[in-house]
Amino acid sequence: MAGTRRSQVALSLGTLAIGAGAAAVTAQLPAEGGYAGVGPNFIPAVVSAGLLALGLWLLADALRGGWKGLPAASDAGDAGAEHAFHGDAFAWVSGGLFLHMLLIGSAGFVIAGATLFACVARGFGSARPLRDAALGLLLALAVYLFFTALLNVSLPAGVLAPLLGTAGI
Amino acid sequence: MEAFEALLAGFGVALKPINLLWGFIGVTLGTFVGVLPGVGPALTVAMLLPLTVKLDPTGALILFAGIYYGAMFGGSTTTILLNTPGESASIATALEGNRMAKAGRAGPALATAAIGSFVAGTLATLALTLVAPLVVEAALAFGPAEYFALMVFAFTTVSAVLGGSTVRGLTSLFLGLLLGLVGIDGQTGQTRFAFGVPELLDGIDVVVLAVGLFAVGEALYCAAYTSRRPETLEKLSGSLWMSRADWRRSWPAWLRGAGIGFPFGTIPAGGSEIPTFLSYAAEKKLSRHPQEFGKGAIEGVAGPEAANNAAATGVLVPLLTLGIPTSATAAVLLGAFQNYGIQPGPLLFQSQSELVWGLIASLYVGNVILLVLNLPLIGIWVRVLSIPRPLLYAGILVFATLGAYSLHQSWVDLLTLYVFGLLGFAMRRWDFPVGPAVIGLILGPIAETQFRRALSISQGDAGVFFTQPISATLLALTAVVIVLPWVLRRLAAARTPR
Repeated sequence: MAGTRRSQVALSLGTLAIGAGAAAVTAQLPAEGGYAGVGPNFIPAVVSAGLLALGLWLLADALRGGWKGLPAASDAGDAGAEHAFHGDAFAWVSGGLFLHMLLIGSAGFVIAGATLFACVARGFGSARPLRDAALGLLLALAVYLFFTALLNVSLPAGVLAPLLGTAGI
Repeated sequence: MEAFEALLAGFGVALKPINLLWGFIGVTLGTFVGVLPGVGPALTVAMLLPLTVKLDPTGALILFAGIYYGAMFGGSTTTILLNTPGESASIATALEGNRMAKAGRAGPALATAAIGSFVAGTLATLALTLVAPLVVEAALAFGPAEYFALMVFAFTTVSAVLGGSTVRGLTSLFLGLLLGLVGIDGQTGQTRFAFGVPELLDGIDVVVLAVGLFAVGEALYCAAYTSRRPETLEKLSGSLWMSRADWRRSWPAWLRGAGIGFPFGTIPAGGSEIPTFLSYAAEKKLSRHPQEFGKGAIEGVAGPEAANNAAATGVLVPLLTLGIPTSATAAVLLGAFQNYGIQPGPLLFQSQSELVWGLIASLYVGNVILLVLNLPLIGIWVRVLSIPRPLLYAGILVFATLGAYSLHQSWVDLLTLYVFGLLGFAMRRWDFPVGPAVIGLILGPIAETQFRRALSISQGDAGVFFTQPISATLLALTAVVIVLPWVLRRLAAARTPR
């Protein structure tokens, strides 16, 4: 279980880093507090201190035989199958979300949504990228029309603007 | 009596055709999304929030009430047919309901869940009608110090006491509190933790955090760990109707479930998780058929489902009367209120009486809609369950990103969403409860305001929290709930012979 311990130590250090970062930002905040005597930096200081303390607590637990009270590895199958990490699936879903971020402003909501849809479906093991892209296009188009025409929420039409006509902005 | 007059006026609002329509749409959408595996009530409400941007507040709140109830019920359908409890509150249902479905008795299991939800939901709404005005009266005496002490108490119980681990619960809470600090400080105008990013000046929207943790985190987790695992969907075969014996065994369980669920919902005990387990244990103990438990005993579905729904209604008592959310779903609802500039609390009952009582009346109506809609439509919900997993998660993420993007029309919110997704992934993998983070985000800024206000009134004397009786009592209670489990463990350890 060396991997488990490494992850727990890493997450504990991550919590400590967030606490330290928060403390560094807090140090720049003004302290004057008027009548209350506590300024806008007081609660941030409390929260930073809390995160640092919790990070240390997590780290101590991780180093002394691991975190306590974790649920049994699995109730359905064996522990190995439950926690085999599929990096490619994770990457497909993440990649889809990043492409969506890149595309939504330029290519528009519909194209970005269809891309996201196809990537996520691929990540979950679908082997039919063309069908997924087509389904994603239909879904994103339906959502786009529903939100822009019925709810007056503006979404970027992007490169499909000539096709979508005045419904888009 | 005053309350009943107000309630009657509330029915006048809730039964307006347009509001009735919103109720129907809310329940249907809530159930539809709630049925989707892996989508719990908090995520359902968060994902459907963008739909309400153009509605008037009353219509929007009625829509939310419907979504809230529908999501609760949809979740139990999924649990019974799929045995993947999306949230801890449905684990008890999964124990018996899924066994019943495996034995070909999915129909009665779904029916007892639906009717039990209706019975318990209606009783709990009645209790809410009676209790809320009393709490409002008491809360009018609360000053900033009392509110702050109450929030500290709520923070402690939802994060440190409940759940598998005190340290992980508190870490989740403090991450939420830190995120709540982002943006412009309401009292001094000081910008905090925004790093010059304009999208962060408004603070972090509860929808982005909830959708990031629940939807993106869940999708990443399921893709990485469970997407290669086959799942079995139980078929809906046989009669949908409950037999005479089913009725006889169900109704006492519904009543007991409602009795257990409502009080637990009203106190900051994390929503439905504890009462559903207590109800399950009670039914197991009281049943004349204890040998059936673990093999599909109908009481084991009827009780916990009733308790779940009653607790969901009970949660609305502190939310509406004090403005304190005690579950992740309630925290998202509070965010929705705030979007409309509505701050729940005792004053709301006076200043916007029509809106509050319209909402409460629509809870009665929502329960009826849930019942008439769900029994006939169960076949459709079952078909929703058979959507292939890849398409399901792809669709969920298209909606999840839409909610975040529509805030500022900016990709920065999408990046924030992804970061929260990574956080949710790690929290899911290592069993950090997510609820405290969402509650911390939304309640933290309110607690800070009350804290500083209390100190302003006392001219900076921190003794104010300990000298005022209500505030001192609440802080003492907080100390007790922290220390008590530790003391009990010590005692138990001392008693066991080594």
